[in-house]
Amino acid sequence: MAGVAAGLAEHLGVGTTVTRWAFVISGLLGPGLVLYVWLWLTVPSADPAAPPPALARLAPVLRDKERRSPLLLAAAGVVLLALAGLVGATAAGANVPWQWLVPVLALLGGLILAWSQLEYVDAESRRGPVSWMRLIGALALVVLGSALLISQGRGPSSLFMALVAGLAVLAGVALVLAPWWLRLINALGDERAATAREAERADIAAHLHDSVLQTLALIRNQASDEASVRRLARAQERELREWLYQDRAPSGLSLATALKDIAAEVEDLTDAEIGVVVAGDHPPTGPAAALIGATREGLLNAVRHGAPPVSLYAEIGADRAEVFIKDRGPGFDLNQVPADRLGVRESILGRVRRQGGSAEVVSAPGQGTEIRLKLTLTGKEGL
Amino acid sequence: MNAKLRVVLVDDHALFRSGTKAELGASLDIVGEAGGVEEAVEVIRRVQPDVVLLDVHLPGGHGGGGAEVAAAFGGSGPKFLALSVSDAAGDVVAVIRAGARGYVTKTITASELTEAIGRVAGGDAVFSPGLAGFVLDAFGAVSGDVAVADDELDSLTAREQEVMRLIARGYTYREVAGELFISIKTVETHVSAVLRKLQLSNRSELTRWAARRNLL
Repeated sequence: MAGVAAGLAEHLGVGTTVTRWAFVISGLLGPGLVLYVWLWLTVPSADPAAPPPALARLAPVLRDKERRSPLLLAAAGVVLLALAGLVGATAAGANVPWQWLVPVLALLGGLILAWSQLEYVDAESRRGPVSWMRLIGALALVVLGSALLISQGRGPSSLFMALVAGLAVLAGVALVLAPWWLRLINALGDERAATAREAERADIAAHLHDSVLQTLALIRNQASDEASVRRLARAQERELREWLYQDRAPSGLSLATALKDIAAEVEDLTDAEIGVVVAGDHPPTGPAAALIGATREGLLNAVRHGAPPVSLYAEIGADRAEVFIKDRGPGFDLNQVPADRLGVRESILGRVRRQGGSAEVVSAPGQGTEIRLKLTLTGKEGL
Repeated sequence: MNAKLRVVLVDDHALFRSGTKAELGASLDIVGEAGGVEEAVEVIRRVQPDVVLLDVHLPGGHGGGGAEVAAAFGGSGPKFLALSVSDAAGDVVAVIRAGARGYVTKTITASELTEAIGRVAGGDAVFSPGLAGFVLDAFGAVSGDVAVADDELDSLTAREQEVMRLIARGYTYREVAGELFISIKTVETHVSAVLRKLQLSNRSELTRWAARRNLL
């Protein structure tokens, strides 16, 4: 029902049908139901074979510990099945030494429950309230079990005495061991911080090696080719800056990033420099692709026919986007561009207009050129 | 303008300082240089320049970089013009809020830089397109948030938005003035007003941003 049968089948490596029938049969006898609920509460719902994502990278060492969990669960299953069998036996009239069995079982159950939480110790600070509750429950079970075992059914007062004595001893031991324990925890924390620092350093070194040092080597090789040196330096600068100021959304999810990427691509293609300013952001839905395409053509056009500085400004609101591409070229009169010149007319203006947006080129001789594109992002017209 | 403006260069790269000095030397009087926070504060106190060209990233002090230098003078003293390789506006806003009158990137040409220094010395503000874009973003202009009377500091007027938008689009002050049919002086007034808002506003985007960088 709650996936317990399937989970157990997975652990024990038997068919789901087998475990289901086992539950049904033992459930009819009584304890199966209890067992089912207990497993439902305690077994983590995720696939135990898959390491948690954060640990995946460091997997080989830690995975061995992960494996302990199925073993423990199997042991728990065996113990509980045995219990079920014993209950059945009592029902059938056999003489079972309950005064021994109950405390021993409580002890065992507590231990299993506590150990099953061991794996969480490795995953830092991932100990949720459920895990704590399990740990406390396990402790209570163990204490109760020991107390029962010692008092051996000599009445509630001696049970109480045993409990108090046990707790007193525990408290004493804890008091003695606390300083050591604290120091151990501190040392562990320091070591972890050191490891994290070391990993970060290695990460930075690896990145610098792959990017900056490679580029510097390339630049040294091509020192005579001024254009390619400039291009390499700029591409590297852009890449490094992005890496340093990691405020970048993935390009599939962000129109702003997509436009920046397009500008970078045009820079690489044409060896020009483009000042990019983007305000706001929006997922690149529907007609955004047309806007990105038109921006690319517009930038290429500005770089080829205009003069630097070329600047791109995009303002992306909640439902619309505006793109302005400006250059300081000689400017031209759009009416004098022959109708068969597809560049500006089709690939820039037409593309945006077909998506229901507005597009215009503002230019006058001597004043540069500005391409203005405006598009509603939510509209589905034209799709 | 018969006397040359007296300028101090603050940048931790000596190479950059000598390059800038060579470029600006003809039109400006470079009276001092510094490569770190303490040195900068000391030099500025000693030579009392008109304008300080201030790199955003500087060693020394309490790690605050250029912002720390500007903050040391707390609005009095020289005018600061921030200069940075990074156009990550986030870096720059720290210096602006510490009192700088403007911000330009190091890719700026010598003549533009001279003009910007002159503008700052005259008490006006200098905005780069990147900074204008950041302002539009931070003040919610992109989502169409226009100033109402009670939170004057926290949002831009419609006119200020227009000016910022044109600057972000790469227009010069002169082109902005032409486009909006106003005088250059009016453009400068609008930009200075935006600068003041950027320095004083408690808009949540700005405060959140400042908190993240331990500037509060």
